[in-house]
Amino acid sequence: MGIDNVGTSDAELVRRVLGGDTGAYAALVARYRDRLGRYAVHMLGNREDAEEALQDAFVRGYRSLARCDDPERFGAWLYGILVNRCRTTGARAARRGQVFVRDEAALNGAPLPSSVERTELDDVVRRALARLAPEYREAFLLKHMDDLEYEEMARLTGAGVSALKMRVKRAREQLQAILREVERV
Amino acid sequence: MFEGGRDVVDQIIARLRRPVRIDPSLDARVMERIATLPTPRRAGAVTAAWRWLTEPRHVALSPLSGLAVATGLVALALLLPALARRPAPTIHELQFVLVAPHATAVSLIGDFNDWDPARTPMRLASAGGAVWTAVVPLSPGRYRYAFLVNGARWLADPTAPAALDNDYGGPSSVVTVAGS
Repeated sequence: MGIDNVGTSDAELVRRVLGGDTGAYAALVARYRDRLGRYAVHMLGNREDAEEALQDAFVRGYRSLARCDDPERFGAWLYGILVNRCRTTGARAARRGQVFVRDEAALNGAPLPSSVERTELDDVVRRALARLAPEYREAFLLKHMDDLEYEEMARLTGAGVSALKMRVKRAREQLQAILREVERV
Repeated sequence: MFEGGRDVVDQIIARLRRPVRIDPSLDARVMERIATLPTPRRAGAVTAAWRWLTEPRHVALSPLSGLAVATGLVALALLLPALARRPAPTIHELQFVLVAPHATAVSLIGDFNDWDPARTPMRLASAGGAVWTAVVPLSPGRYRYAFLVNGARWLADPTAPAALDNDYGGPSSVVTVAGS
């Protein structure tokens, strides 16, 4: 990504790509890589699957770019593609029985009191999320991790607002039950 | 493990909101893959109109409008036998040919397949040969088309007239299918 792309709007970059400047797409990839990657990592539970889904989403986004009706909201449009790719990748991973493996490098946040505690807590979070049904995990992450409105979530997932509210509520209840169980052990 | 006095789910949410760093080499892998793809183009007017017509949507009708639609459907049902007696437009099968000895893959793209390289892959006329062919059924009309070689190189048909009203960027050719 060239320095001249910093601050360039999504709409301008999309316009350049559609005009034949393929390189402008690299700026969009760099811009959304980590932001969308966070959803993929937590939804799929391991970095390998998350990067595969993310890469597929970017390639599919490029191929369908002419159908992005509101280029100013390229990120939201691409998010919808990623949600679908994660569903496909997650279903495939579930079939091969390798969902949620340990991935110490996936999280890069504020330091906690000790690395042992951080590892243990991250592991608990990952395992708790893994025990949720995929549609509950998806709704929970979109609502609470990305702070999306229910209308936006409905647009991304194709589910109704009432169904999504129910999924988020059930996800919270199930997580609470799982974590209570973990603390008792 | 969790802080007392604070909802455990809220503590999980706080952890989930921390930034995640994805390996920046992913950018290069994405760009490598898209380098083999044709540049995405805005749909032409015909394609856009077709998409508008075929896209599902909710339509609200008042009872009066519903009655008008029902009347129209009855009239159509009465007219259908007469319409059915009219001859159907003739479909012609056209063979497209490109000589490309060094190509590993060739696609035929044009107005008839929404310029989608996946829809009409061309086949080698003989194994190890250089002649690529594809047969496409077309109704009478004027069509613009081109060949996409190895997924990247856009070629007009050297044996056909060039399209002057080309809005897809690369050079393209024109074929006109006459009515019967």
